[in-house]
Amino acid sequence: MNPVVSVLFVGGVLGVGAYVVAVLDRAFGPVSRGPRDWFVWPIRRAAFLAVQRRTETERPDAEAWILAPALLAALAAVGLTAVPVTPSLAVADVSAGVVLFGAAMIIVMVAVFLQGWSPNSLFPLIGAYRFAAMALSFGIPFSLVVLTTAIPAESLSVGAIVASQEGLWNVVRQPLGLPVYLVTGAAVAFWGPFRIPEGTDLAGGAVLEASGSVRAVWRIARAGVLVTLSVMGAAIFLGGHLGPVLPGWAWTALKTLVLLAVFVWSGHAFARMRVERFVWFGWVVLLPVALVDVFASGILAL
Amino acid sequence: MSVLGVTAIVVFGVASVVTGWLVFRTDSMVRAAYWLMASFVGVGAMLVTLDSQFLGLILILMMAGEMTIMAIFMVMYMMNPAGLNPMVMVHQHRTAIAAGVGSFLLLATVALVADFPADPAPAGADPTAELGFELLGRSMLVFESAGVALLAVMIGAVAVAGKWGRFGDADAGSVEPPLDPEEAAS
Amino acid sequence: MIELILVFSAAIFGIGVYGALSQQSFVMIMMGLELMINATVLAIVVFWWGTTGGDPRGQLLVVVVLAVMAIEAAMGFALVTAVYRARKADITEKLKRLRN
Repeated sequence: MNPVVSVLFVGGVLGVGAYVVAVLDRAFGPVSRGPRDWFVWPIRRAAFLAVQRRTETERPDAEAWILAPALLAALAAVGLTAVPVTPSLAVADVSAGVVLFGAAMIIVMVAVFLQGWSPNSLFPLIGAYRFAAMALSFGIPFSLVVLTTAIPAESLSVGAIVASQEGLWNVVRQPLGLPVYLVTGAAVAFWGPFRIPEGTDLAGGAVLEASGSVRAVWRIARAGVLVTLSVMGAAIFLGGHLGPVLPGWAWTALKTLVLLAVFVWSGHAFARMRVERFVWFGWVVLLPVALVDVFASGILAL
Repeated sequence: MSVLGVTAIVVFGVASVVTGWLVFRTDSMVRAAYWLMASFVGVGAMLVTLDSQFLGLILILMMAGEMTIMAIFMVMYMMNPAGLNPMVMVHQHRTAIAAGVGSFLLLATVALVADFPADPAPAGADPTAELGFELLGRSMLVFESAGVALLAVMIGAVAVAGKWGRFGDADAGSVEPPLDPEEAAS
Repeated sequence: MIELILVFSAAIFGIGVYGALSQQSFVMIMMGLELMINATVLAIVVFWWGTTGGDPRGQLLVVVVLAVMAIEAAMGFALVTAVYRARKADITEKLKRLRN
């Protein structure tokens, strides 16, 4: 793809996607807010944060503090480049596309740690440490489940994985894959029950001291990571652009919207987990399930 | 190689060397860990440009986790993790500089003087697929022993660093600070 | 091209040697070791790309080196923790006696 077009494409998808996530988040909230509030509130909030004066802390790590939200947004963009939106249109369908996506999602851990470390304040640091513990626990199941979808395709490029689902979607062939992907994906974007680094028990945690444009970019970047996870999930589990009647990009958008709705709904449906419990859950439950998924797919492929 | 490839390699190469140097120049320990990660990302990007996409991306993926662990260990074991005071903690500085510069000159001389056979990798081949076939075909023994070695290290690391020891728990006899501030002061 | 990348690799290796020999803190020594391994991985791949004609055993060697790097980091940190527990030492200057 042409570099300028690809930059615009990725930026556009992330911008529109972040707005859709915010709208869905308001829509799944209390029923008393009308539909007009769903669409207007995100824009008003972003405008408020953009002009708010930034509060300073004592001796922060200023460069790292500005770097962290930018890094998160960049990782969302990088993760998005490997996905083929239509059979002929992908920003960069490299031969190891899922590894690129996995690497981008693991570096989210680095971004959250920097965001918590930089303000030189206690609660953000605790949030950052908790996210490091979380990230090590969900990292392996996440990578395993994403790589398992490459087994039937016999290739690591996302385009080949989508093409291999012509006959049967991966969600049917590998039933354990999508639930684990949804759980670990929500943990990557620390959404919903896994909102541990920013939890209210830490008075806001990693974003406690962030204000103004830093906070706005952080929120938008986090929604962008959720969009990337949904697009990739739609591609490797639900068959991407494959479908009978509508054109390819319409199917991709539809499946992405379904997964986004599931992610955002989980934020309002489940209470936040404690970090010790999540670490236990990641190692004792998610990892064996992911390993069973790998073995089963391997046996089916033989 | 295309012009874009050559400029990419030069830019990433210089970036890797500079950030590698900054690892030992910076005062803040967390920044040291992340400069090291930047150096690895530079090398990973160079690997991707050299047709080894899988290896480059795996390198970056591994290093993200490893550098965060290093940052956490830095904060645990260094007395000045945030770099609020400047510090230089070196010993045998001149020897180290001599060894570093000496090894660089030696290797660079070998690189520039030696005559390497020119047998470039074919451009159209898929290195990831070939690596996969090799790894699970002829070199399966190497793969398996690497797996067993990693398992042994996992068990060994937990055994070495676990808090249960031959002479009792590592935190046996430690007393939690009392909840009441007056009690603590007395 | 091969020579240029090998010079970069030599530079990173030299910085790693300097770091591993000069630093007092255990973790900084490990960073020096990591830089040295970084440089060797780059050198292996550039040799594979330029001189072996696509023989996959070059990439295999890199995979083995990456596994070794993981092993070295894991055991290094475990030993740092054990030494700290036994001797309360976080820099090399505090370990003067080999025994006890």
